[in-house]
Amino acid sequence: MSTADILAILQGAVTTASLSGAAILLGLPLGLLLALTRWARVPIVAPLVAVYVSILRATPLVTLLLLLFFALPNIGVPIGAVAAAVLALTMNTSAFNCEVWRAGLMNFPKDQYEAAQSVGMQAGLRLRTIVLPQVVRICLPGLVNEMSLLIKVTPVLAVVGVVDITRAAVRIGAETYEPLPPFFVALAIYVPLVYAIVSLQRLTERRLARAEAE
Amino acid sequence: MNLPPPAAGNGHRPVLTVAALSKAFGCLCVLENINLQVHRGETICLLGPSGSGKSTLLRCINWLEKPDSGQVYLNGERIGVTTGGVLMGDRDLSAIRTRIGMVFQHFALWPHLSVLQNVMAAPVYVQRRPKAQVRAEAEGLLASVGLSDKRDTFPAKLSGGQKQRVGIARALAMRPELLLFDEPTSALDPELVGEVLVVIRKLARDGMTMVVVTHEMDFAREAASRIVFLDRGRVVETARPDKFFVAPATERARQFLQRYESNSTRPTSSDRPQSFP
Amino acid sequence: MHDFVVVWSERALLLRGLGNTILLSLAASVAAFALGALVALVLMSSKSVYRRLFAGFVDAMRCVPFLLFAYIVYYGLPSFGLNLDNWSAGLAALTIYNTAYLAEILRGAWLAQPVDPIDAGYAFGFTGLGHFRRIVLPPLLLSAAPVVGNQIIQIVKDSAFLTVIALPELTHAASSIQSRHYVPFAAFITAVLLYWTLCLVIEACVASIGRLAEARR
Repeated sequence: MSTADILAILQGAVTTASLSGAAILLGLPLGLLLALTRWARVPIVAPLVAVYVSILRATPLVTLLLLLFFALPNIGVPIGAVAAAVLALTMNTSAFNCEVWRAGLMNFPKDQYEAAQSVGMQAGLRLRTIVLPQVVRICLPGLVNEMSLLIKVTPVLAVVGVVDITRAAVRIGAETYEPLPPFFVALAIYVPLVYAIVSLQRLTERRLARAEAE
Repeated sequence: MNLPPPAAGNGHRPVLTVAALSKAFGCLCVLENINLQVHRGETICLLGPSGSGKSTLLRCINWLEKPDSGQVYLNGERIGVTTGGVLMGDRDLSAIRTRIGMVFQHFALWPHLSVLQNVMAAPVYVQRRPKAQVRAEAEGLLASVGLSDKRDTFPAKLSGGQKQRVGIARALAMRPELLLFDEPTSALDPELVGEVLVVIRKLARDGMTMVVVTHEMDFAREAASRIVFLDRGRVVETARPDKFFVAPATERARQFLQRYESNSTRPTSSDRPQSFP
Repeated sequence: MHDFVVVWSERALLLRGLGNTILLSLAASVAAFALGALVALVLMSSKSVYRRLFAGFVDAMRCVPFLLFAYIVYYGLPSFGLNLDNWSAGLAALTIYNTAYLAEILRGAWLAQPVDPIDAGYAFGFTGLGHFRRIVLPPLLLSAAPVVGNQIIQIVKDSAFLTVIALPELTHAASSIQSRHYVPFAAFITAVLLYWTLCLVIEACVASIGRLAEARR
């Protein structure tokens, strides 16, 4: 494997990182929005959200990606590989995030919420000042876990031609007839990355447990 | 009985009017045709056995629970239904709730905010009063409940009695026309009950209009202007405390007081501390 | 609408793909469960060498993307003289990968079991395999069912990745239909709905096991 090959893989790493980053940044608030819709029991929309989340959690990412990439242009929405990839990742992660947020919201102590109502705080103010600051802390471990899962499914982007780490490694292996070395380089990038996020998750869990105990 | 709404501009208009209020949870009828008037400066104690609907009635006043029928008026203004006859939305309901203070059985403090922030939050964010003025007032309130030194502490580090005193300060910070207390001392260890009752008694003496749901009979006897006794969702008897506790008019009230007398081995309020720890 | 008629005309291919997905997932689940149980035993044993070895294996699998692992098994093993066809490679990758996850799940379920009923079993004279089979295993399986069910759903979804090594499972079938007839929406939506149905069936099974567990709590 030449340096050019290693650079190609690193370039793939940049692609992986930026696409995952975009999906995480979009998926977190979207998941919260979906969870809030169900929590507030918005008529018509809430049951639709429930069905949407259920389907997305059951759908393999590769199937979703192929659906978006091939079907959207077919019904008149032109979409490129990168856009389809970000959209698929975002839809996927938002569905799982929704369940994490929802668990936090459902378990929120009722009497704190009523105290906010009793002093005349409106819904938006109640959410901003009382509910969200606490729910964010509680949901953090679950959300960080979701981030590590997201990174682990990014190789699927190769299926629509996005050159991420895995696709770069596969290509180099096909060219050099030595598939293993580029795969090991790929591992050397993924494993520390995922391990770092998992450690972050364990750290936030421990911090949370300590704060609860006080 | 369908009371007409209080006339506007009436100097003796009641602060709170409850008319023909009923509420059921599913097929369980919790409140039936409740009528109640509270005048300025009065302290009403709602007494009654468990399940009599006292807490539900309190929560129907500020519409934390939606009554099935009947009307609630705060100083002549109807709560929960607009002048057009339509159910109030979150905004209108919130506007009225700023004029009613509530103190909860389990304190319901916001754990991520300090004591001072708990007291200041609503005046600043809801009433939009200037922060400096709110802070000055909040510090004054904390001083009056004896918690000045805890202003930057978080609720998790406070005792039950301290938390409840913060809860009272928080409700007072809104300058309410009416204060509601939902069993304010029921969740407290016996030795902490006294410090909270001291605060409530002082509020009564200072002329605050209050409705208190409580099991503290001695407190009710001393501080209430009127006792309203509920049983199984109905107002059974209304009387001044000196009459209610000595010679109750109804059999149900008599039975209730008898049971209280026989169960009561706790020290009377005069044995409890008259100031704060 | 016409597109769905086209998909319906290819239903044999689609059903074969679904069948392969079910077969693959079932085989991998059973194998990974059995192996995972053994690995869990090693993880809880006192022989520190083996324990650390397998703990490392479990940690590694949890940090590696499945698709990359599948590629390594399919493309990389030939370098060691082990030539697997796509079925064997796919099944092997799916099994080994999920053995690690199920080992962690079963270990967690084991540690969460209360000790008293187990000791009571010994006190009443149960020993060895009989004790394990009648006293230990039933509550263990009941409490682990929801998490294991989730992992099985994960296995079904991971099986779709194997389309990249041309394994003729459901996604591959849908892909093939869309590329030949240009009906991407109909083909993939059908696949999505079939996956959803599979998932709901698995969740229903877990729920019924859960009801069994509740009655015995």
